[in-house]
Amino acid sequence: MMRNCVLYLLLPLLALLSSCDLEKDIDVSLPAYAPQLVVECYLEPGKQMRATVLESSGYFEEPNPPVVPDAIVYITSPSGKRVQLKYKPVMVKSTGRFYTHTSSEVMTGKPGDIYQMEVVDGRGRKVTGFTKIHSKVNIEEVEWRFNDKDEALLITTFQDAPHTPNYYRYMTHIDSLSGGSDRDFVTSDDLTDGKRVSLGSSYKYAEGDTLIVTLYHIEKQYYDFLASVSDAKNANGNPFAQPSQIKSSLEGGIGIFTNLAFDRKTVVIRK
Amino acid sequence: MRSYYTTLLLLLLFISWPAWAQRQVVQGYVRAASNGEALIGATVSSPESGAGTITNENGYYTLSLPEGEHTLQATYIGYTTGTRTVRVATTGQSINFILDLASNELQVVEIQASSLEQKLNDTRMSVETLSSTEAKLLPALFGEVDLVKTLQLKPGIQSGGEGTSGLYVRGGGPDQNLVLLDDAMIYNPSHLFGFFSVFNPDAVRSVELYKGGFPAQFGGRLSSVVDVKMNRGNNERISSSGGLGLISSRLTVEGPILKDKLNFSVSGRRTYVDIFTRQINRLKEGDDDFSPIPDYYFYDLNANLNYTLDEKNDLSFSGYFGRDFFGFDDSGFSFGFDWGNTMGTLRWRHKLNDNLFATTSLTSTGYKYNINNEIDIFSFKLTSEVQDYTFKTDFDWFVGNGHSLKFGAQATRHGFTVGRLNFESADSTQNFGAGNTYSGSEFGLYASDDFVLSPMLSFNYGLRLSGFNSSGKTYAALEPRASVKYTLNEHTSLKASYASMMQYVHLLTNSGASLPTDIWYPSGQGVRPQRSQQAALGVSHLFGKGRFLLTNEVYYKWMQHQIDFRDGANLFVNDSLENEFLFGKGESYGNELYLEKVSGKTTGWLGYTLSWTYRKFDEINNGRRFPARHDRRHDISLVLMHQLNKRLSLTGAFVYGSGSPYSVPIARFAFQDVEGKDPSIVPIYEDRNSYRLAAYHRLDLGAVLKLKPRRGEADLTFSVYNVYNRRNPYFVYFEQQKDRSNQQIVGFQAKQVSLFPVIPSVTYNFKF
Repeated sequence: MMRNCVLYLLLPLLALLSSCDLEKDIDVSLPAYAPQLVVECYLEPGKQMRATVLESSGYFEEPNPPVVPDAIVYITSPSGKRVQLKYKPVMVKSTGRFYTHTSSEVMTGKPGDIYQMEVVDGRGRKVTGFTKIHSKVNIEEVEWRFNDKDEALLITTFQDAPHTPNYYRYMTHIDSLSGGSDRDFVTSDDLTDGKRVSLGSSYKYAEGDTLIVTLYHIEKQYYDFLASVSDAKNANGNPFAQPSQIKSSLEGGIGIFTNLAFDRKTVVIRK
Repeated sequence: MRSYYTTLLLLLLFISWPAWAQRQVVQGYVRAASNGEALIGATVSSPESGAGTITNENGYYTLSLPEGEHTLQATYIGYTTGTRTVRVATTGQSINFILDLASNELQVVEIQASSLEQKLNDTRMSVETLSSTEAKLLPALFGEVDLVKTLQLKPGIQSGGEGTSGLYVRGGGPDQNLVLLDDAMIYNPSHLFGFFSVFNPDAVRSVELYKGGFPAQFGGRLSSVVDVKMNRGNNERISSSGGLGLISSRLTVEGPILKDKLNFSVSGRRTYVDIFTRQINRLKEGDDDFSPIPDYYFYDLNANLNYTLDEKNDLSFSGYFGRDFFGFDDSGFSFGFDWGNTMGTLRWRHKLNDNLFATTSLTSTGYKYNINNEIDIFSFKLTSEVQDYTFKTDFDWFVGNGHSLKFGAQATRHGFTVGRLNFESADSTQNFGAGNTYSGSEFGLYASDDFVLSPMLSFNYGLRLSGFNSSGKTYAALEPRASVKYTLNEHTSLKASYASMMQYVHLLTNSGASLPTDIWYPSGQGVRPQRSQQAALGVSHLFGKGRFLLTNEVYYKWMQHQIDFRDGANLFVNDSLENEFLFGKGESYGNELYLEKVSGKTTGWLGYTLSWTYRKFDEINNGRRFPARHDRRHDISLVLMHQLNKRLSLTGAFVYGSGSPYSVPIARFAFQDVEGKDPSIVPIYEDRNSYRLAAYHRLDLGAVLKLKPRRGEADLTFSVYNVYNRRNPYFVYFEQQKDRSNQQIVGFQAKQVSLFPVIPSVTYNFKF
């Protein structure tokens, strides 16, 4: 009798538990926000100078980021040549990148050269930054190993230069560079100064997979920016994460002005 | 103005004095009948006069009573009440009590009735007491009785979030609690990210929590003292007790080894969710779409050994060992993560004479975590650990003339292993590591006097000298403590206290939650000790024929050298951790109202706290102060226990808390990134904790049904957590809304995530 009572008591409660939806929409009222200039500009040897200048928005405002037509971008080379990037929005289909400001001027800097950037707009906002051209670090080896379930892990090896702080961004893509990265993280040589470094993955690849492996040798300011972007994204939805401010490389706005020095290899996983 | 207050105080003194003028002091011991063990913290009171006190570490008490005939009562949780009728005529009369074990748990709760008079007359203030017996009656999450979570139902004590066992006392953080298990510190008193405390209710006898007015013998933490006492072994016969619950089972065995000389108690608890998940993994083996569920379990072992050498000496050993384990092993990949505390205390109690007692102990306590990861030929290990060795000696001296002195010394050697990392490959091509070890020496010298100036006016004042040395840097501080009680009349007393506290070791966490990977770090060069000061005023009023006690306390606490961390601080593997620290201030103030009833068929309490808690750091919020995550304006708790009949008792607990501060992004920007990356939305955070989550409220109901087994005792404990299925906020995030046809972002929506819906559970408990 008692057993039946307990069962009758618990059944509706268990049914209720299984039907619970633990997530719901709520309304959040946010304080007024003054938009800031958001600038992204990556210099790459042999490539045209291009930049994207947008504005930040209050979180629940229109989803499309506002463009800033009256913004002017200047990039000054080590020789003192000041190049103006004009407002001419363009979408480069081959890379899927969108630029608001472009120039036909090609970046010809060498490792150690310093470039400066200045962005001004009609509202008197001014953003400045600089970047020091890095040399690329070669990928020495890309190898893979299978487990007994025919799943492969990937190991990428490179040599870190000793006695200088170095920062890296490591990315892998499957089949092509479009469609987002398979892996993407930043790392430093704090613990591996001057050592041969191997970056591994879990057992996640299958025979026949084509993998594109990219190793960027990046500036500290780019490392800090990417890490803070990752932390900020992580804080939105992770109850254990502490909110993080964006560490921009720019004065007067949000964003990054840096250069891209990277080595890239493509491999096909074979047994 | 000052003279006005002095006159008022003197007036109050003299108005009340005549009623107390003819009083004498009685004294004696309270011991257990089963083994003669001194009962620490037992209440001795005279219901007629309203006077009461509690026994010290040696089971000794002194009580001031008016001349004449009195019924003296001695009560202790788990024991029957001892009653003696005495005629008080001279000072120094010795009245001893021998108490028998209570046979009925429900009856045990009633025993606390006279504790209300004692609380009214106690010089101490801001102290909450809870017995394991009481906690076992209350409904619990998953049926797991948890003394620490029950303490969260008391005013001034808050939880950090849904279901967690961390204690936030009067604006302090969970790392600022001095958690003692039989006098030994427990560094991480929780399992499973804080959802369960390490205290097995079968192994624990009672918990006392000091929110303020800290006695001088305690030091090393800022905000509270959680003094947990383990059960002593049964000296009469071998007995066992335990329980089968929804997620864990418990077993305790205790008994004598040498009759009246040596007894033991051993308790164990283990969760068994992993047994089911392993079965599921086995059944799903070969299913490519199924990802195996990792193993998770935790266990606790408590042991206690008591040896009575002679009338003047006894030795005891208390030990605790607990571990959480999370692991995964599959085809060339294995991951293991274990963490836990280990503690052992050897204690010698010695009676030098009738008025002087000494307790000396040697303690080893530590907390560590290990992460092991192996994949193919590579292995990764990360360890952090804190290990303490403490020598402590305390003296209790009943001087007479209303003075009871307490003095002693403590020395601790701390060892810290911080972020010890090792990465290597079997072919030796990879081998690097990191991590630091630190050591520190901490000491404390203290003396305090419990002084009964008159039956109306009593003081407890003391001074603690504390110090710490690490990395060639030495810190020392004087920590004055004082509390005063003034009895207005038989039903009302006024109390005030002040305490200064220092904290020399710090918990490094930037998660806002209790995580096993949080690291303890010593003060040293560049890292100054934390300090707090707290002042409190209170009034207690006994009414309803002594069945209700209403207490109101107002407090203000200010804290210096509080610790936070830079944005993006790396606390895992970092050989320059001190560069990540930020130092600031904190303050907390509020009012706590507490109404309790501990006798009759219906017992319980109602607590209401109105409080404010802030932090201020130059590098956060542009130097403006911000509310701490545990700042809660209104906090209400109502706990009721009703004994329906001899077999059935019903219990309920309702809690309400104003919404907790939370950080939400106020803006966003589109980040295109380099070729090969999809554009993403990056949130922009500005002011810390500027948003308030929705209010938290919940009702839990429970029932304890006594069974009639052929042998021993048994009961079924039913619990329903969150009866009306309130979806309390756990966290809030902003989600992108996309057009399904083209994956374009069309807007953003705030989402609230809750953790626990209604959860029923049943636990079977036995004792024989």
